[in-house]
Amino acid sequence: MAKLIFVVLLTLIPILCTSFSPEKPSDRRILVLLDDFAVKSSHSLFFKSLQSRGFDLEFKLADDPKIALQRYGQYLYDALVLFCPTIERFGGSIDAAAVLDFVDSGHDLIVGADNNASDLIREIATECGVDFDEDSAAMVVDHSGYAVSSTEGDHTLIASDDFIKSDVILGSKKIEAPVLFQGIGHSLNPSNSLVLKVLSASPTAFSANPKSKLTSPPSLIGSSISLVSVIQARNNARILISGSLSMFSNRFFRSDVQKAGSPTKHDKSGNEQFFTELSKWVLHERGHLKAVNVQHHKVGETNEPSIYRINDDLEYSVEIYEWSGTTWEPYVADDVQIQFYMMSPYVLKTLSNDSKGRYFTSFKVPDVYGVFQFKIEYERLGYTSLSLSKQIPVRPFRHNEYERFIPAAYPYYGAAFSMMAGFFVFSAVHLYNK
Amino acid sequence: MTVSSTSKDARDLFGALWSAYSATPTNLKIIDQYVAFAVFTAVIQVVYMALVGTFPFNSFLSGVLSCVGTAVLAVCLRIQVNKENKEFKDIAPERAFADFVLCNVVLHLVIINFLG
Repeated sequence: MAKLIFVVLLTLIPILCTSFSPEKPSDRRILVLLDDFAVKSSHSLFFKSLQSRGFDLEFKLADDPKIALQRYGQYLYDALVLFCPTIERFGGSIDAAAVLDFVDSGHDLIVGADNNASDLIREIATECGVDFDEDSAAMVVDHSGYAVSSTEGDHTLIASDDFIKSDVILGSKKIEAPVLFQGIGHSLNPSNSLVLKVLSASPTAFSANPKSKLTSPPSLIGSSISLVSVIQARNNARILISGSLSMFSNRFFRSDVQKAGSPTKHDKSGNEQFFTELSKWVLHERGHLKAVNVQHHKVGETNEPSIYRINDDLEYSVEIYEWSGTTWEPYVADDVQIQFYMMSPYVLKTLSNDSKGRYFTSFKVPDVYGVFQFKIEYERLGYTSLSLSKQIPVRPFRHNEYERFIPAAYPYYGAAFSMMAGFFVFSAVHLYNK
Repeated sequence: MTVSSTSKDARDLFGALWSAYSATPTNLKIIDQYVAFAVFTAVIQVVYMALVGTFPFNSFLSGVLSCVGTAVLAVCLRIQVNKENKEFKDIAPERAFADFVLCNVVLHLVIINFLG
């Protein structure tokens, strides 16, 4: 019996070892931290859509003393979902620094906050460049962009359709119905260039406590309020921060929606499509690029030289693929550029591609020698950044690589030899004349 | 009136210069012609360089410096063999010519090496 278990475990090892790898960049194992297990059933549609796409979800209470992100220095999960807006202190070994370390090591994070978000959740968001409204009772209120409902509410249930214009983040299919939102607004830290507003509030929105009378102007107003934001860190880790946890709930996913002032009533809100597409992006099922097989050689040759000579003609090629969630598909774009770089780019050229992922070009090495680099810096909205550089020295002509006699220099040769001839003639005349 | 007097003055001036130069010994005149030939060749090369560009610069330098060097050495020879020049009266004309030959040999060796 023990032997049988051993054999089964042995065969499972390769399966258990398939975690995040450069070959399969999609996340596999996700830890979901909840305030209470009711969220698991009230938000089951969102979790089911993740599970149906092959993710392995592990639900834990956020104050469970046994939770841990890593064991023996290895991360146990590829992504973390924080659906615990009120938690003041995580159980186990997790704290804000551990969550940020998790992101710093290239893992993904989804944060669902709410208008009673704790300081811990606010701290994590602030570190990611997202500042929630400091008034913990404040909610986003919109008296003209609210969602029409049977009960005349306080206009905190907002129907927003102000999406980021990016097919790679939100999918190529347009989200027709507005997205329902009810929660706290946030602003983006202007010094953080990596954070993006995915869903912004309308220009008539503001962030205030809906229950009290507005005495001073609200600190967050108009379309500078972000409802849902994403960050792609420099290590390509992706973070989704939403100011509303109920956005993910079954109730909002199934709810019909009619935006105030709009005659069309949608049977289903845009929430489900919005979060399905956005989670595909956050969990690296879309917009993840890799560049492989960099090749360069002189025109007419196939071997890669260790050094080029000035004015050589060379050919460069690289293959770029995009991860589709299951396979690497050729990435097709017409704006990938190569730099031939030494302190500054001497050659900057757009690569042509064959629609099968291969990008290529040819150019002449500049008339300057030194240590150059082939450099590709490709950063596009929603795509992981590509940064390739390959060093290559460039040498001048050797002394025997010049032509022996240069036609342009014939007058100079003539002058030098006529001076010698003149010297002999003059010497003869000078001596004879004595 | 003034124009004709100015041109007359100029003619007188050049006439005086020419008659003074005519008195110069023949060997010095030969040296002068040699210097003029070298300077003329140098000027032609500079004009050619201005027209076609500096490449190959080393050939241009050696061509022009060959002319300039020749002219300078010839002028030095002229100073030393001039009988009226009292400063070099201790140096025999044969010695001066030997120096001139030696310097020219060195100059042209350098020029040939740098030419190209």
